[in-house]
Amino acid sequence: MQIIENNKIKEKLYIEKLENGLTIIVMPKKTRKKYIVWSANFGSIDNKFYSQGESDLTIVPDGIAHYLEHKLFEQENGKNSLDVLTSIGVEANAYTTNDHTAYLYECTDNFDEALEEFMNYVQHPYFTDENVEKERGIIEQEIMMYDDYPEWAVYMNAMKAMYKNNGINIDVAGTKETIAKIDKEKLYKIYNSFYYPNNMVIVVAGDFNTNEILEKIKSKVVLKSKEDVKRVYNEEPKEIVKKYVEKEMNISMPILLIGYKDNNLEENKVRKNIAIEILSTILFSKSTDFFKNLYESGKVTTNPVINYEFSKTFSHLLIQVQTNFIEEVMKAIDMQIENVKKNGITDEDFYRAQKSVYGNYVKDYNDVSNIATIIVSDYFKNINSFDYFEEFKSINKLYVEKILKELFVEEEKIISVIKPIKE
Amino acid sequence: MSKTSIEIKQGIKLHCIKTDKYKTDITCIIITTPLKRDTVTKNALIPFMLRRGSKKLPSQYLISKEMENLYGASFNCGIDKMGDNVVLKFYIESINTEYVLNNEDILKETLETLLDVVFNPLKNNGLLNEEFLSIEKESLRKVIESKIDDKDTYAFDRCISAMYGENGYGIYKYGYIEDLDNINIKELSDYYNYLIQNSKIDIFVSGNVNENRIIELLKLNENIKKLKPRIENYVLNNEYTESKKIVEKVNEVTENMNVTQGKLVLGLDIVSNIENLQAISMVYNAILGDGANSMMFQNVREKESLAYSAKSTLVKQKLNIFIRCGIQIENYEKALEIIKLQLENIKKGEFSEEDILNAKTYLISGLKNVYEEQDSEIVYYIGQEIAKTNKTFEEYLKEIEKVSKEDVINLANQINLNTVYFLRN
Repeated sequence: MQIIENNKIKEKLYIEKLENGLTIIVMPKKTRKKYIVWSANFGSIDNKFYSQGESDLTIVPDGIAHYLEHKLFEQENGKNSLDVLTSIGVEANAYTTNDHTAYLYECTDNFDEALEEFMNYVQHPYFTDENVEKERGIIEQEIMMYDDYPEWAVYMNAMKAMYKNNGINIDVAGTKETIAKIDKEKLYKIYNSFYYPNNMVIVVAGDFNTNEILEKIKSKVVLKSKEDVKRVYNEEPKEIVKKYVEKEMNISMPILLIGYKDNNLEENKVRKNIAIEILSTILFSKSTDFFKNLYESGKVTTNPVINYEFSKTFSHLLIQVQTNFIEEVMKAIDMQIENVKKNGITDEDFYRAQKSVYGNYVKDYNDVSNIATIIVSDYFKNINSFDYFEEFKSINKLYVEKILKELFVEEEKIISVIKPIKE
Repeated sequence: MSKTSIEIKQGIKLHCIKTDKYKTDITCIIITTPLKRDTVTKNALIPFMLRRGSKKLPSQYLISKEMENLYGASFNCGIDKMGDNVVLKFYIESINTEYVLNNEDILKETLETLLDVVFNPLKNNGLLNEEFLSIEKESLRKVIESKIDDKDTYAFDRCISAMYGENGYGIYKYGYIEDLDNINIKELSDYYNYLIQNSKIDIFVSGNVNENRIIELLKLNENIKKLKPRIENYVLNNEYTESKKIVEKVNEVTENMNVTQGKLVLGLDIVSNIENLQAISMVYNAILGDGANSMMFQNVREKESLAYSAKSTLVKQKLNIFIRCGIQIENYEKALEIIKLQLENIKKGEFSEEDILNAKTYLISGLKNVYEEQDSEIVYYIGQEIAKTNKTFEEYLKEIEKVSKEDVINLANQINLNTVYFLRN
């Protein structure tokens, strides 16, 4: 077992890799709330692959990872595990991202009882024509619900403008048309191709005795290791698809999202991420003159936020703000970036931003559910979550300035706008 | 965890929640005042003005700088409706001293900054700073307009206003655009002075903190010294004070908007004063639409595949239940029919002892969870303060546990459909 410790936040992680390849990470924490998440490295972008032992390429409909997430709760005894878990007082849920699917529950009591059901359902899919059919209407409504979220629309449009081939440009849930093609055979196919222990991780956080919980989990694992599925991703060109995209929706104020596609996938992601968070504060926080000018001229009410997203196959940076003055605000953002590029960062701004970012990392370790979610997401990016604290010390002003110059490149910039419907 | 509450002055309380579960401390000031049509917009404008600057930190940029220096402490304001009251919340979340890099006394700084921002605003000639007013009116106007952005919340709010009109609980917490033009700085300053000298004030400090030290800090604080004792002016409303009339005819409201999904909201009145009403209402609501085992989830979603989100929400203070789901617009009639059938089925007792048990387990674990989240715990205690109850967790538990199937059937027959609201294109 590997143990990693961080003396800043005073937490420890115990990492055990089982013989069948399943990784289990335990974070003991003296809280009443307990949390477990079991995740497979299979997300919405994994839609082309060679299944183990097959020489024909399998192509599955968009949204299938998410469809499977909905259907895995269904059990052969006719019960739905979500109902069973809920009835013993635990809060069960699941989610799908672009690179992983996660099943989880949290509780204050009955952890062990729930574990039995939990370990059982994740390892025993039961799909029938009827139960697969029944889900279609529910997922259609989920898709339609997202269609009415302006934040989701501005984001999806940005992904489509930025990426030609990478699956990040498709909706995690798919569309009404693509999910119409999903059936039980396809669900079994992807389950059997991607849900194997050496492609999965379990994270538990809460008041556990590490060895006891490890033994309990181990005794319930029945999945056998497999050779790795061969995923096929179309090559993504360096260039963006289009510069500008807009849509009209029923909203009160336009939303502006500026994206920068980042083709440098080799750079250490943790260091880059820290640098970007520091930059976000220096460039656009409420303490800047940039914000002061826009606010006092009535152009924005809140400051733009930077979000850096990455996986093994993509990396980009997004700046989002709501404003009635799209043109002016875009110009101001560009100018602010250019100014800091040209004049450099002051020591005072750098240290203040650094402190602020550090505090936010500490806050991340407040809640077991948040902690486990971060660990899982980092795991599939080959990141040890504590590295954010380890690398922090080594991020200096020069490095942040270097990232600023490399990332904000005009040719890799796209703009996505949602405008209110004209009366 | 231990909680202590002391009255610093009449009408002003300090609540210390001592816990070592979190890496953060939260300091929070809550001002509670009755929800009134003629003051609601002014009231909503107050946090917008206060966050712009205090005497010590005379601009929001300086406040932000201060927060960044305090390891990214986050300062926020919020407005919430609690029954017939509106509460203004001002809070700072900061990391605990245990995790800072240079031994800074963060909590002292955050507490004093928060008191300064709320009770010592930047003033000119004794009035709030007029320079801020026009921009902040605009900020508030944008917030009011943005209520259409989240269709689910919008539909919920619209159903409430269809039931209550512009009275008490029907009032929109951020106020009304048509009021904005007529608010001048003199009027707003007078309102502010009235608000801080007459409202119920609760100060919460949660985290790994020393309560005696907090009390000391507050006693010495100049801003606290300026506050006078007061007779708390707010509306006590809970299951004992609220009474409803049976509506003759169900009110049907349809609104058109450019949406993909229709949002259906049904407003129900609980017309009852039976014993243990609150707990029975909670169990009823859990069976009807709270959680994965509820009738709404099982029937509207799982069985009929009509919705992804299908739930009901109990508003304890007002004795209302709101059924909410997002559906395909053409399925309006069908969804309505199925929901009405669920209401009838509970009335007829067509649910099992297991459903009752599931509902209770669900409620109790939810209640336990409240104590495991730093911010929800504070919200929970504010709720208790305003309802003037001091029930312990064990008391709640007992009340929920003694609810029987007969109780639920009995209550179901005293629940009436008041309004059906539908947002469609």
